[in-house]
Amino acid sequence: MEIFYIFAGITIFGLIAYGLQIWAVRSTLKKNNGAILQHSNSPYPPISILKPLKGLDDNLFDNLASFCTQDYPEYEIIFSLQDHNDPAYKVVRKIRDKYPEKNISIIVEKCDIGLNPKVNNLIPAYRASRYDYVLISDSNVMVDKDYLKEIVKHMKDPDVGLVSNVIKGIEGNTIGSIFENLHLNSFIIGSVCFLDRFLKMPCVIGKSMLMRKKDLETIGGFKAVKDVLAEDYVIGEKIHRMGKKVVLSNYTISNVNEYWGIRRFLNRHTRWGKLRWRLGGIKYFSELLGNPVFMSCLPILLWEPSRITISFALLVGSIKVLGDYYLGTIIRKNEFEKTESSHSINSIPPFYYLLSPIKDLLIGFVWFVPILSNTVVWRGNRYIIGKDSMLSPCPETGMWAWRYRIVDAIKARIA
Amino acid sequence: MLLCDFHIHTKYSDGSVELKKTIDLYGQAGFDVIAITDHVVNGDNSIGKLAHRFKLSVTASNFDEYISNIKYEAERAWNKYEMLVVPGVEISKNYISPEKSAHILIIDIKDFIPACLNYEKIFLEAKQQDALIVACHPHHMSDMSRDTLFLWNNRDKYAKYIDAWEIANRDDVFNVISLKKYPYIANSDFHKARHLYSWKTLLNCKKDIESVKHCIKHNKGVAITLFRN
Repeated sequence: MEIFYIFAGITIFGLIAYGLQIWAVRSTLKKNNGAILQHSNSPYPPISILKPLKGLDDNLFDNLASFCTQDYPEYEIIFSLQDHNDPAYKVVRKIRDKYPEKNISIIVEKCDIGLNPKVNNLIPAYRASRYDYVLISDSNVMVDKDYLKEIVKHMKDPDVGLVSNVIKGIEGNTIGSIFENLHLNSFIIGSVCFLDRFLKMPCVIGKSMLMRKKDLETIGGFKAVKDVLAEDYVIGEKIHRMGKKVVLSNYTISNVNEYWGIRRFLNRHTRWGKLRWRLGGIKYFSELLGNPVFMSCLPILLWEPSRITISFALLVGSIKVLGDYYLGTIIRKNEFEKTESSHSINSIPPFYYLLSPIKDLLIGFVWFVPILSNTVVWRGNRYIIGKDSMLSPCPETGMWAWRYRIVDAIKARIA
Repeated sequence: MLLCDFHIHTKYSDGSVELKKTIDLYGQAGFDVIAITDHVVNGDNSIGKLAHRFKLSVTASNFDEYISNIKYEAERAWNKYEMLVVPGVEISKNYISPEKSAHILIIDIKDFIPACLNYEKIFLEAKQQDALIVACHPHHMSDMSRDTLFLWNNRDKYAKYIDAWEIANRDDVFNVISLKKYPYIANSDFHKARHLYSWKTLLNCKKDIESVKHCIKHNKGVAITLFRN
């Protein structure tokens, strides 16, 4: 019985933390960004949007097109790829043909300065950029027409060094993408807002990062993060340490996940988990303690599947379903208040929230992987993740290299 | 080069993705030409009757709706993605024995062709409609339960009617087509979203249906590619 009480206590702690996350999301989304603009009459500065591309993301055409229809006076879009055979190359050419009036460049350049392939992709695009403000934007995000105007408002304050955004997952036609969207719209959005509101910690997600060139160059430019897995987080940290503000805009951007398999969902969150374990160290344990569904199920496994343990797990699962649904409602409501043409119409259907406890259970098991493994396979290459997510090439030979070869052999056999 | 896929199923037969979503999936991925080719299954045996019962086949009664929906989506696809969408069907003559089974793509179909007609009649009807005739997965596949060998085993009789043969279908490659020097294309046989990443055809021609058909029939400027992400 003691086991049950211990885990019940931890679960209640997790539920309280989850409640605080919901509060943080609510208060972040209710921030009145409009006030910032009223204090300034300066014109909108021109912006260079850097779009690193690698392969096809779900909804890629519409994602890229949404940046070509911005209601903004002057901006350029630089699509950057590593080679002409990338399937995204054909899509960006179609986009350029569809919007001939827009200032769109396509840069295809093999750059292998560092180990982080995204940074390698960004360096040629950055070199070609013309304006003083750069926006790094991932290829899997879709935005509304007023996106640039909304995020640039924060830059009117000279103390602001970086603006990032709240991300929501939309669409979802397969179980993997439904899990991904549920996770983005609960744990990820909750954690980012919680860290920003209560702990005042910058937690930048690279899907949208607006900076001044001079600030980026002061921290060493992209070359300073060329061998770092979490380049977005580290850039945010460096700008914060430089004494500049890192702002989380309440303007939500959409991450379209439509056709993910379950394996892709697990792979991404294993990678992100490894990253947080290397960056956060002991703080990473709070993620497990803050997973009430997983914690409430442990007594069933560790003690016995009795009426009390099962009822408790079901109760916690139901609370989590309702909490996630409420979070989804907050996000949707915020979108409707913000703009009529929002993508929120594609938000998660209510029925899918019933899958939320299953997703949390999976995430609970995934949590252990980073403790056991310090390597990551990213875009076909295996790296060892060191302190602060510093990457180093995984040795092909050597004392411990055999285990990677075994893992690769098993994976190849399964495939 | 035009990136093409001429063998795509939707929820009109046994595909798992709706027509509109299928069009968007290909459009978002930058494709230039696709053909929607849902099954028209022969209803003259128990396998076919089951397919009809579970609505896994386009039938004479819903053919017009099928074509008009494809045409509607084709217009949308052209306006949004500049992607050419061609209506088609896959005539599926299914029998227990793979030796007797055959699947035939009729691309740019105008009127319904029943699958229970004999082969000559099907081919002649397709020719009359100026449609393109493609022999699908004509040889042994990695999934042997899907084998359809009739056309290959009777190629001497039927090759003259066939405009192109699938040299590759999803993950399978049929080297016999190459050895026989038959005109070829490669398709995904798309049923699920993940089938997008499979063998495809590249055509060096203009992006209109007549040029595409001409290019395939004459098999000049045709290449195949394994489309991967």
